[in-house]
Amino acid sequence: MEHHYTVRLEPLGKQIRVQAGTPLKDILFPYGVEFPCGGKGLCGGCRVKVLQGSVSLDEEHKRALEKLGLKDPWRLACRSRVTGDVTLEIGQFDTFILADSSPFHFHPRPGYGIAFDLGTTTLVAQLVSLESGEVVAVETEVNPQARYGGDVISRIEYAVLQQGADELTRLIREKFAAMTGRLLRKTGGTPPEKILIAGNTVMHHLFCGRDLAPMASYPFETPHGDACRFTAEELGLPADHTEILFLPVLGSFVGGDILAGIVATGLDESEDPVILVDLGTNGEIVVGNRDRILCASTAAGPAFEGTNIHMGMRATTGAISSVTVEGGEIKTHVIGNEKARGICGSGLIDAIAVFLDTGQIDAGGRITGDRERLPLTQEVFLTQKDVRELQLAKSAIASGLHILMDRLGYGPQDISNVYVSGAFGTFINLTNTARIGLLDFPEEKIIKMGNTALLGTKMLLFEDGERVDRILRKTAHLSLESNPRFQDIFADNMMFMP
Amino acid sequence: MEDILEKLTIAVKRGKADKNSPYPPDMKGQEGADELTAEALKMGFTAEEVLQKALVKGMHLIGEDFSAGKAFVPEMLMAAKAMKAAMKHIEPFFKSGSVKQKGTVILGTVQGDLHDIGKNLLGMMVEGAGWKVVDLGADTPFEKFKGALEEHPGAIVGMSALLTTTMVNMKGITEKIKAMNPDTIVMVGGAPLSQEFCDQIGADFYSPDPQGATEFLDGLVQSS
Ligand code: B1M
Repeated sequence: MEHHYTVRLEPLGKQIRVQAGTPLKDILFPYGVEFPCGGKGLCGGCRVKVLQGSVSLDEEHKRALEKLGLKDPWRLACRSRVTGDVTLEIGQFDTFILADSSPFHFHPRPGYGIAFDLGTTTLVAQLVSLESGEVVAVETEVNPQARYGGDVISRIEYAVLQQGADELTRLIREKFAAMTGRLLRKTGGTPPEKILIAGNTVMHHLFCGRDLAPMASYPFETPHGDACRFTAEELGLPADHTEILFLPVLGSFVGGDILAGIVATGLDESEDPVILVDLGTNGEIVVGNRDRILCASTAAGPAFEGTNIHMGMRATTGAISSVTVEGGEIKTHVIGNEKARGICGSGLIDAIAVFLDTGQIDAGGRITGDRERLPLTQEVFLTQKDVRELQLAKSAIASGLHILMDRLGYGPQDISNVYVSGAFGTFINLTNTARIGLLDFPEEKIIKMGNTALLGTKMLLFEDGERVDRILRKTAHLSLESNPRFQDIFADNMMFMP
Repeated sequence: MEDILEKLTIAVKRGKADKNSPYPPDMKGQEGADELTAEALKMGFTAEEVLQKALVKGMHLIGEDFSAGKAFVPEMLMAAKAMKAAMKHIEPFFKSGSVKQKGTVILGTVQGDLHDIGKNLLGMMVEGAGWKVVDLGADTPFEKFKGALEEHPGAIVGMSALLTTTMVNMKGITEKIKAMNPDTIVMVGGAPLSQEFCDQIGADFYSPDPQGATEFLDGLVQSS
């Protein structure tokens, strides 16, 4: 008989039942917990505090904790499995974590601030003590606009073609006020000094009530992308002195969430050229250093989120999240330790890499032999069309990188670091990402950063507006379609070079 | 004798443009579509024969592979390059009138949209099937289609869109084209489209891939 245990997550207050032996990594991932070192037990970024119950330790785990100077009741989520009922406090929501695990330096100020990551799908807000840098409380919600379509283009469609803009603005502002209201109950009546909101261009326009029509067709240039200031009353919050600001758009589809990403990665202060890539539907890319920054959106599409893939699904329970070959046999890891129901983006990348190595997919992406399907488990398989979808998505990113780097005169060797943002990015296998030509950089240069929009917004709570102005001054947006060679570059990058 | 046309068919399908081209790697050093076409004409094959028995055939084969998922954008583009290299030799015969094209197809990505790769692939296939293609490029408003139709009366219009926000522009353009001349045939395509959408906007034909579109076009010639 299978055992099930209850896991309680604090400060989220969420409770879940899972099978005995389920890795904590699988449980925490859907809640936005990040694994900056990729789950190798090196950085301590995913540490959790055991408040009640227990999580057993093996030797390796013990050594990893010792190295990081952590004692009971701390555990590393990436090294832990559920072995009994347990209540956990997620350390990540308490401290700033940078990829190199050095604490983030800030100048303490009195009072509180709120950092808001306003995503197309999810909303995350953190109440931060500006004195200690601690996250006092967290709120997460699904974006209520999602019922009008999953991606930004369908929101534009609803807003512009079906006159639904006011409705979308109302929905998001109401949710914002509700989430903020709940956070404010934790400050003991003190109104926050600052609320900073980061979101992509479409979220910016919808929240701020700006006309989205320019984003519906060529040339996709918006005159309404500047930072947007609000008073508390305007947004239905109790009247006070709080400064409320929605971060400005960088250009076209590259929004304030990416601007926050630049802050989080320190790209704007780096001497060496670095890259920031968001492996989402819009596939935003930033290349540059403290002198000059170029950005673009590559329109990769939703393949990495499992959409348009025959058996694709989001990275939740039942999804194949990684694939390896052991002794000539295909082994899959399924999120939640359950029977595989489908495959998510990280699993797709692994599967393609594995089939390239076994010769079941050739360099052009064709399934070899007379096979129609490539099985991964009894039920889950890849189709030829899945491979094609992946080729489009990976080439969009690779081509965007190629064009931006080329424009700045950089070769891969000039780039000191590649920061990958987004929850999906933290779960990818870097060897395989390079193998399929998605991010063809040496593994040691790639740093998984998780939610850079939230981190950057949080960091900006401690600064005055100048850093944002400086970034805006040196950043230019490049429209990839303006490159006359796009088609050839795009076709070249679809191939899987050995 | 027929051998050379077969070789040319393969060169087109595999995307071997000329002897010097490194692609495909397994055909390195072999003659490509450029040389083989010149030779075939020298050997006495008519331009019509070279076109129909080798170029159209080669493009048809790659089109079939593409529809079946066995070939993709890069292979298709290489095949088109090979076809273009061969066409250089055939074009003078189009101009002199000794080889007739099946008709004229005007293509454009719809107003507001710059995605043109699908439209370009379609253009190559249609040209490779023996049609004259007038490519109006991307972000094409009605006025441009109008101008091209005035210049090429009786031409068929093909429109492509990749965005759900721009495909709606096809409706207005189709209506205006039909108002100019109700007999003008309008075909539409692009990833977000469907047969249902095609019917809604009053267009005549929808195909999810270029192969379907060329088969539809060829059907028009046979029935007339
Ligand atoms: C007349 O009869 C016919 C018959 C058949 C016809 C036909 C006509 N036309 C086509 N066909 C058919 O034949 C072809 C061969 O089978 C097929 O053509 P397709 O065109 O469908 O297929 C091509 C051969 C290959 N497919 C493609 O070329 C599109 C691939 C993806 C990755 C893509 C690309 C490459 C690009 N993009 Co864009 N882009 C995406 C795409 C996402 C994806 N993963 O698919 C898509 C289409 N883009 C999108 C978006 C939003 C955008 N893009 C943009 C930009 C770009 C690039 C410039 C980077 C580049 C286009 C370069 C170019 N010159 O075309 C922006 C605007 C561009 C503009 N000004 O118009 C921007 C608006 C925003 C952005 N994030 O940057 C999305 C549309 C979503 C929607 N709901 O509409 C998108 C699905 C990605 C996503 N975010 O989900 C068939 O449809």
